[in-house]
Amino acid sequence: MSQLQARFFTENIKYKVDDVPFSIPGASEVQDLSNVINKLLEGKHTDHSHVEFDFLVRGQFLRTTLATHMETEGISTEEVVEIEYVQRFIAPQPEECIMHDDWISSVDGDPEWILTGSYDKTARIWNQEGKALMTVAGHTDVVKDVAWVKRDGPVSLLLTSSMDQTAVLWEWNSERNKIRARHCCRGHAGSVDSVAVNLNQTKFCSGSWDKMLKIWSAVPTDEEDELEEQPDRPRKKKKTEQMGLTRTPIMTLSGHVEAVSSVLWSDNAEVCSASWDHTIRMWDIETGSMKSTLTGSKVFNCISYSPLCRRLASGSSDRHIRLWDPRSKGGSLVLLSLTSHNGWVTAVRWSPSHEQQLISGSLDCMVKLWDTRSCKAPLYDMAAHEDKVLCVDWREDGVRAQHTKLSTT
Amino acid sequence: RSKKMSKTAGKSATKRVVDDDDDDLELFKENSDEVPQKVEEEEDGEDSDDSDSEESVFSGLEDSGSDSDDDDDDDVEVEEDFEEEITSDCENEDRSPGLEPKEEQPSTKKPSKPQQGEKLLLKEKTATRKAGGSKGRAKDNGTVQSEEAKGQVTPPQVDEYEHDTSDEEWYQDYPHIGYDLDGKKILKPIRNKDELDEFLDKMENPDYWRTIHDKMTAADIRLSDEQIDLIHRLQRGQFGDVNFNEYEPYVDFFSDETMIHPVTNRPQDKRSFIPSLIEKEKVSKMVHAIKMGWIKPRKPKESEQRFYDLWAKEDPNAILGRHKMHVPAPKIKLPGHEESYNPPPEYLLTEEEKLAWEQQDPEDRKLAFLPQKYPCLRVVPAYSRFIHERFERCLDLYLCPRQRKMRVNVDPEDLIPKLPKPKDLQPFPTTQSLIYRGHSSLVRCISLSPSGQWLASGSDDCTVRFWEVCTGRCMKTVEVGGTVKSIAWNPNPSICLVAISFNETVLLLNPCLGDKLLYNATDQFIASYVEPEEERPQLVQWEVPQDEDFDNGFRLIINHPKSVKQVTWHGKGDYLASVLSDNSNTQVLIHQVSKRRSQNPFRKNKGIVQCVSFHPIRPYFFVASQRCVRIYNLIKQELMKKLMANCKWISSMAIHQGGDNVICGSYDSRLSWFDLDLSTKPYKVLRHHKKALRGVAFHKNYPLFASGSDDGSVIVCHGMVYNDLLQNPLIVPVKVLRGHTITHNLGVLDVAFHPMQPWIFSSGADATIRLFT
Repeated sequence: MSQLQARFFTENIKYKVDDVPFSIPGASEVQDLSNVINKLLEGKHTDHSHVEFDFLVRGQFLRTTLATHMETEGISTEEVVEIEYVQRFIAPQPEECIMHDDWISSVDGDPEWILTGSYDKTARIWNQEGKALMTVAGHTDVVKDVAWVKRDGPVSLLLTSSMDQTAVLWEWNSERNKIRARHCCRGHAGSVDSVAVNLNQTKFCSGSWDKMLKIWSAVPTDEEDELEEQPDRPRKKKKTEQMGLTRTPIMTLSGHVEAVSSVLWSDNAEVCSASWDHTIRMWDIETGSMKSTLTGSKVFNCISYSPLCRRLASGSSDRHIRLWDPRSKGGSLVLLSLTSHNGWVTAVRWSPSHEQQLISGSLDCMVKLWDTRSCKAPLYDMAAHEDKVLCVDWREDGVRAQHTKLSTT
Repeated sequence: RSKKMSKTAGKSATKRVVDDDDDDLELFKENSDEVPQKVEEEEDGEDSDDSDSEESVFSGLEDSGSDSDDDDDDDVEVEEDFEEEITSDCENEDRSPGLEPKEEQPSTKKPSKPQQGEKLLLKEKTATRKAGGSKGRAKDNGTVQSEEAKGQVTPPQVDEYEHDTSDEEWYQDYPHIGYDLDGKKILKPIRNKDELDEFLDKMENPDYWRTIHDKMTAADIRLSDEQIDLIHRLQRGQFGDVNFNEYEPYVDFFSDETMIHPVTNRPQDKRSFIPSLIEKEKVSKMVHAIKMGWIKPRKPKESEQRFYDLWAKEDPNAILGRHKMHVPAPKIKLPGHEESYNPPPEYLLTEEEKLAWEQQDPEDRKLAFLPQKYPCLRVVPAYSRFIHERFERCLDLYLCPRQRKMRVNVDPEDLIPKLPKPKDLQPFPTTQSLIYRGHSSLVRCISLSPSGQWLASGSDDCTVRFWEVCTGRCMKTVEVGGTVKSIAWNPNPSICLVAISFNETVLLLNPCLGDKLLYNATDQFIASYVEPEEERPQLVQWEVPQDEDFDNGFRLIINHPKSVKQVTWHGKGDYLASVLSDNSNTQVLIHQVSKRRSQNPFRKNKGIVQCVSFHPIRPYFFVASQRCVRIYNLIKQELMKKLMANCKWISSMAIHQGGDNVICGSYDSRLSWFDLDLSTKPYKVLRHHKKALRGVAFHKNYPLFASGSDDGSVIVCHGMVYNDLLQNPLIVPVKVLRGHTITHNLGVLDVAFHPMQPWIFSSGADATIRLFT
């Protein structure tokens, strides 16, 4: 195959090479180019150790041979090609395996602690070393979602939602390792599948199987909201007393015709919800009205929003991760779809630090790191799980991803 | 002399006779009067010569004259004809234009008149000459005529017009023949030869034969050799000139080829390019006459058609028309060498071949006879198979087709109904998404909660499991005391009850899943039952489980006398029907949960009931027996319809949400779709499965139905039912879903659709439940 003129550049000063065009065979692949760069770097720095690189041609990751890539992208082979190279993300080995007794339904990472919700009706708080610090017990049914609300000082607030139709706001004192249920949020008529706390941590939103979204206050108070209790439910009332003060929703948003599977705050005044009725809806919290609807063709299992690139990523039951522009009024604008999974995409999460990376978990036991510049193939696969992946999350440092493992030990 | 003349010339017999007569007369006259006779003779000869030449000349003239005359006459005639036509055409018209041609007539005749006059004169002249000199003329006629006949090459004679011969007659009786310049008489040459001299001369003179007598000078002229030669040649019919070559090569000036150069260099005449005024005048006259209608163009001759197409107007359907479709009789195969009485040796069969031939069946034989060799044709015996062969031939003719069959030319592709492509009929389940594992034995039955969140399954491992649909998590496992035959989730979303049939029991179980309010309300609803005052005899026993069973979710137990095959709910959720595997008249029982009452709707046993189902809207009840489906009206308590499934053993049945369409799966691997509005026969029978069908299902919201079979596959079909009564349901098979492994020859045992999503669940003998989305 023909030779191509290519110029390599990188933003990482450590790996900079001379800015001169090289003649490169068109058939060369990523590995060949990586070797070329390494050779160059070895010539430059004698102490250079081998580094694997990935290459971007006009913002698209190189995954095939250089010539075919340029042919498919419609780049002229006559001119000098600018090739950016970055250090390759190598599939990490699982550092730690936090074993649960039952399926883990949700995870929320924090620089210090990891909060997991489990099918054994409890939520757990783990430290970095994988040691269980606290078991949050109290729910009468499977814990479906967990979220940190506030983490400052020794007292932190956390939120769990469960299939028992409640979401509970807990107060955890990390020094004394005491947990106390502050509020039990009642009002849903189905399992509360998803909770999301807004950015200034004053409100949270919950989405439930009963097709409703409810906005609650996330600020613990000592007052109990009045709940129209029916006198013929003594058993339930007893539980309520155990679980802390009852709280009623500030607002109920109805509009979905099927179960709400995932909610998130894209703004302090805007909530995004994905549902099994094939829609993603944007809600205005100030007015309590629906702002716009994105319509897909399959059930949405999860959504994630990145404030960095202002995109929504959705995982649905047809193996694709789709990227949406939430500001588009057109309704169903799919910007990009990332396809590599073989099962339902159950979890998707944007990187908090990198605007083009997201992580996805699927029922095919795979966790994949994606770059939006390479929509055909992920950057790497993490195949450490032996069973369905139900949720994933990023740690704050953005380097390592946490993901839950379904284990039935 | 006459003899000499006759020798030299003289051909026609009549003239010879005349000559002879003349001779005789002359002889006689000569005897009496010599000199005048001679003179006369001479004169006569002269005269005859002259007259002859005159005659010839005249004849030529006359010919030309007569020719021209004829021409003229013709012209005149034509003109007269023309005239007549014109006159006849315009009898009543003024004659002035018609007169013009008349006036012209004399002018055209004028030039011919002098000719005619001349001719007349000449004729008179010749007549007088002939009268005068007929004798002399006859004498020399021979040569002259022959010469004349021979053509134009006669030696130029003296111009007889300038030379007046009349004086010859004038000097007939005189001794002189004229006068010379001096006015002195020119005397006739003295004729002193008598007959004897003549004779002697004839005898003695060797040149006598070429001596001729000149009358003018009365001298004897001896003809020279050249002259003799010329005469001979003329007599032979040759050209006088020796050097003339009559066979000169012909130069064809006027060929058909177009030449570049003109033949002549002569410039063209002016008249050749100036239109002829006369012609113009003529044409204009004719044009005028045509315009005026005096001349009518000649009528075209009616071409009489002597032949016509006999079959042109024949009706193709008439008797004769069949000949068009004539099929010729089959031809007899022509005899080959083997039929010969003396076939070539390679056609003769060897002994083994003969044996083989004899052992073959007559139908299998290549030849119907054995080729045989005879020394000569005489010894060939009578052909024994003759009658047989004739009979076969007759049979051939008798049985051969007489008419061509009009084959309908249909493209087989056109017969296939135009079905929409499956991809246009989305959504429908396409891929396997989740596997619900947990059962240890085959999963016989599955049922979805009306909310679509939970899935209940009953298995042969005597457990009922409840699954979370979206994750495949088993939420609950309930042990029951037998293999679960049938399971049905209450279709009423406000009642949280599952009916489970095992052994002789139907168990109503509250799974305590979903909305707390709902399942608590259900518990209250069941607990609120008040025992009726009077105990009625019940077919079955209703039992309220206590303690442990209650904690397991058991709410009501209905004990049947026989094992229960199937249980199904009414759409409202208060009634449920159970099918007993009993061959008595109590095969179907309908229970009312709120009143804890059971009744047997049927008094008679009409075959083993396979499954039953409630109509989703109307109070109808479908009962599937082995061969047919009966539809009963529960209010009127009568049989409404009997659907003939056209199969051997119905295994399962599903009712469309609208209630007008029923599908039946059968163990003989057929799926029959009934449209109740159309007929009691299946609207369509699908034979897509290879093995027995175990379960069929309709989707509640999507136009989908599915069938699960022992071959391990689930076939999803698009089954669109239109509200329009005129449009029949559209059935398109869209997807074959595989996933279940076949264990103990059993594949898929039950299929169920998700109530909201286009998803299908199938339970299999491999102890798994699979979700296809």
